[in-house]
Amino acid sequence: MNSTLAILAILDGISYAALVFLVSVGLSLIFGVLRVVNVAHGSLYAFGAYLAATFSLAIAPISPWLTYPALLAASIVIGVVCGGFIERFLLRPLSGQEDVLQLLITFAAFMIMDNLQRLIWGVQPIFAAEPLRLLPNIAVFGVSYTSYQVILLPGVALATLFGLRYFLRRTLSGAVILAVTEDREASTAIGIDAKRVYFVTFVIGASLAALGGALASPTTSLVPGMGADMIVLSFAVAATAGLGQIEGTALTALMIGLTRAFVIYLQPEFEVLVPYLLMVLVLLVRPFGLFGAVQVRKI
Amino acid sequence: MTAMLDFENVNVAIADAPVLRSVSFSLPPGATAALIGRNGAGKTTTVRTIMGFTKASGTVRLSGQDLGHVPPHRRPFLGIGYAPEDRRLFSAFTVEENILLPGRVAKLGADEARRRLERTYSVLPELKELADRPAGSVSGGQGKMVALGRALMLGTRLVILDEPFQGLAPVLAQRYAEALRRLRSQDRDITLLITESNPKLLETFADVTLTIERGEIESRVLA
Repeated sequence: MNSTLAILAILDGISYAALVFLVSVGLSLIFGVLRVVNVAHGSLYAFGAYLAATFSLAIAPISPWLTYPALLAASIVIGVVCGGFIERFLLRPLSGQEDVLQLLITFAAFMIMDNLQRLIWGVQPIFAAEPLRLLPNIAVFGVSYTSYQVILLPGVALATLFGLRYFLRRTLSGAVILAVTEDREASTAIGIDAKRVYFVTFVIGASLAALGGALASPTTSLVPGMGADMIVLSFAVAATAGLGQIEGTALTALMIGLTRAFVIYLQPEFEVLVPYLLMVLVLLVRPFGLFGAVQVRKI
Repeated sequence: MTAMLDFENVNVAIADAPVLRSVSFSLPPGATAALIGRNGAGKTTTVRTIMGFTKASGTVRLSGQDLGHVPPHRRPFLGIGYAPEDRRLFSAFTVEENILLPGRVAKLGADEARRRLERTYSVLPELKELADRPAGSVSGGQGKMVALGRALMLGTRLVILDEPFQGLAPVLAQRYAEALRRLRSQDRDITLLITESNPKLLETFADVTLTIERGEIESRVLA
């Protein structure tokens, strides 16, 4: 592998890791607080991507620069509407019942959303690359790369990481979420409305998944099935890190993103296999993930 | 005079097995009540019913207000503080953050929160030295003190302590009892409800003793 390909692999890996982190950290946050593995998370990613593309295509003729707020708006709309609906009307009625029911209901939501997606946006690929084209290419060690992927995406991922850290550790809302994560009943006994915390957390997690999809939309063609691919991958990242671990998810996303990128250049037939191989290897040695701990729930 | 706490024909069943059977009792404001019973007699279920953590029939009132219409997370704002049997501190925070969190949730003003924190430290002076320690690193006995301190932040009318002496070394139990005496001497109006399996531990302290057996209040003794 020559140095140009190595730099390309690193840039590809960082860009991909940023998207995977956004989706995985939402999944991890939801699991950390609600103890629900949200199978519909991939659908939220896909809906975020499709709605962002719809908004972008509609607003670009007015001003191409408005496509950036359109990406953000799409994420928030999907997070609040779809995420809010799933938590309030599908998960909350099952509160206190067996965990497997919550897993099954999110699987049902995934199936319904997958079909809704085909119904609303059809099965033909959709392209909405305006936000990608607006930003210039930059040279990294002599290799030209889009600044959207190498600066904007990692920038948003880092802002999300530090923003989440600040939110959880420095604000009252974050403290309340941490308290409910640790002990729902003890939280209620000091006046915390755990149901509201669950709702807000789910909406934040869903918005992060949709943000990942929205930011990915200019870089790829949108096709049915993209949500299924992402839920499997983001689950692999979250499980490898240890479910509920925010910083660990960031490092694991970077590790898996870089490994995958190098494999694509060196042995492309193993691209799909690598993240899951890493997950299996890690879980065999550390069943609670690289950064997870026994009986300790962290977010 | 309106009772501070009033149970009227309260029944609780868990998985169809009755745990509380027609429990009725009243505590006047300022009472120090001991709820005595063996393990499994229904003490913890009684206090969890006050907090809204069980599905109960019958009526529970605080100062005449029917708690059946108050969601569990709103009950602490009525002036109820609760220290559960197993402490249940939030290990993500320091000791002082644990004590202050209920006040932050209740959106107490800074001055009021500071006043209540000082009140807590005056009742439990040893907590001041532990203030910056992570709550997960304190000993079991110290954790009981922190749980009491946290309960005092919102517990301005009724403070519920579930088996506070269980597992405490004699020296720590002595200190805990002294803290309760300081609390009682500083605040005559506050009502204390303390559950305990050993009746001797609270006999000199409580002015009302309720004995519970198999989910039924067997006797009421006024000191």
